[in-house]
Amino acid sequence: MMEKAEIPFLSVSQLSELIKSRQVSPVEVVEGYLERIDRLNDRLYAYLTVCRDQAVEAARASERELARGEYRGPLHGVPVAVKDQLNTAGIRTTCGTPIFNDVVPDEDATVIAKLKSAGAILLGKLNMTEFGTTSLSHAFDTARNPWDLERFTGGSSSGSGGATAAFMCATSLGEDTGGSVRGPAAWCGLVGLRPTWGRVSRHGLRPGMWSMDTIGPLSRTVEDCALTLQAIAGHDPHDAYTWDVPVPDYRAALDGNLAGKRVGVVKELLYAEVVEPEVRDAVSQAVHVLAALGAQVEEVSIPLTRHANTISSVLRVEAPTNYRELIRERLQEIKHDNRISYLTWSLTPALAYYKALKLRALLRQEVLAALEHADVLVMPTMGIAAPKIEPDPIIDSKERSHRNRAGLTTSFSLASSPALSMCCGFTSENLPIGLQIGGKPFAEQTVLNVAYAYQQATDWHGRRPPI
Amino acid sequence: MKELTNDEVRGLGHAVGLEIQDPELTEVTYSLNALLEDLDHINPPGLDKVEPLPILLPPS
Repeated sequence: MMEKAEIPFLSVSQLSELIKSRQVSPVEVVEGYLERIDRLNDRLYAYLTVCRDQAVEAARASERELARGEYRGPLHGVPVAVKDQLNTAGIRTTCGTPIFNDVVPDEDATVIAKLKSAGAILLGKLNMTEFGTTSLSHAFDTARNPWDLERFTGGSSSGSGGATAAFMCATSLGEDTGGSVRGPAAWCGLVGLRPTWGRVSRHGLRPGMWSMDTIGPLSRTVEDCALTLQAIAGHDPHDAYTWDVPVPDYRAALDGNLAGKRVGVVKELLYAEVVEPEVRDAVSQAVHVLAALGAQVEEVSIPLTRHANTISSVLRVEAPTNYRELIRERLQEIKHDNRISYLTWSLTPALAYYKALKLRALLRQEVLAALEHADVLVMPTMGIAAPKIEPDPIIDSKERSHRNRAGLTTSFSLASSPALSMCCGFTSENLPIGLQIGGKPFAEQTVLNVAYAYQQATDWHGRRPPI
Repeated sequence: MKELTNDEVRGLGHAVGLEIQDPELTEVTYSLNALLEDLDHINPPGLDKVEPLPILLPPS
């Protein structure tokens, strides 16, 4: 008989087997997680809303279904948590700001409905940076990194990173515009996947940037990530930009066979100035592991990746259009980082935006050209490990306006391609380092399989944060 | 390229219905100038000919 307190440390796939065979009940599982949330959330600030009563009631319903032999699949009875950017029927959805404290949607986002249909149990809504727009400002308490409570989780899906890494949910959803799933995954030692733009419905997502927003899983193992993606992927008539193409069986694609797979190392990102030596060394070692597993490795060049963050910043003209009235009427209620950013993007000239759109198209061509000669591309996710949480600085020079130089995630956002971050080592301060693996549009299974092969050959994912 | 002044940025704000005052005005001026300067330096081959499609379109 398993102790309730040990249940949260199981992977989704392990937990799923125990639930299916009725060795543990969904009620025990939910209670185990709720106890852990009660114990840790005051230090981690990962959850904004805990759906205690709803979760217990859903667990009881799951138990009754299982007793009747109505098994829904590998997420049946598994507790999940989601970024508070996703609408949840009857549960407040703040989008990371007290301005929306009273917003209670009457409909679930499509991904929430899909998770529930798969039998998953919603534990709660997770912290995030304000509006999910930039990676800095929290309007609620700043989410803390379980590996070091003085450090940032990464953003904007900060609570998704913290909660999943601290075993406060079995798996989670975040939202990735320029790197908001992959950044927290890198800094919290998780597997985080940005799916292809159009693979997962955004219906019911509070928008950041319409042309780059994606919803993706943050999990502790690649297999769990695949199971979570399976539940949410697919065409949705409520989101005109989801593609009506078949969804593969992601877990079945995890054979770990890299023989003959071509891996391109993006030299502009591996050797970028912002990449610290410990990060570069860990990623280089990971590349050696992939080669030892049978992959054919070669360096590739994507020159415009150097400028991806600038291109993305100009395209952020899209972001303030979601909140025009708030910016005009309630500017001082918006946190400093977003306040300055929203104003800046509101004033960006149309010709600059048009040029950035053209640069985006060129960058996409470069990424897709590199992927004609490689099955996946690899590089660091972030140039540094998780930094200390510090006050948002006043911008008193042009230099000070560059906020997110360490992020190396934006190229795949601009290319509308899938990319995953996973742990490939630790710094001398015991902080996780992220390896990024990018692939062709709609080739999530290839990205996941390369990640799976690497995870099977290493044990970084087995380390637990000191909390 | 010529940098925008605080007054010019205030005028741009006025044109889109935003009355921007200090302390935000100075910070926005630095941010906007930095952004436009960075963009001005990116001029790869093919920029004039490429079509500015923001997304990948599904197969028809």
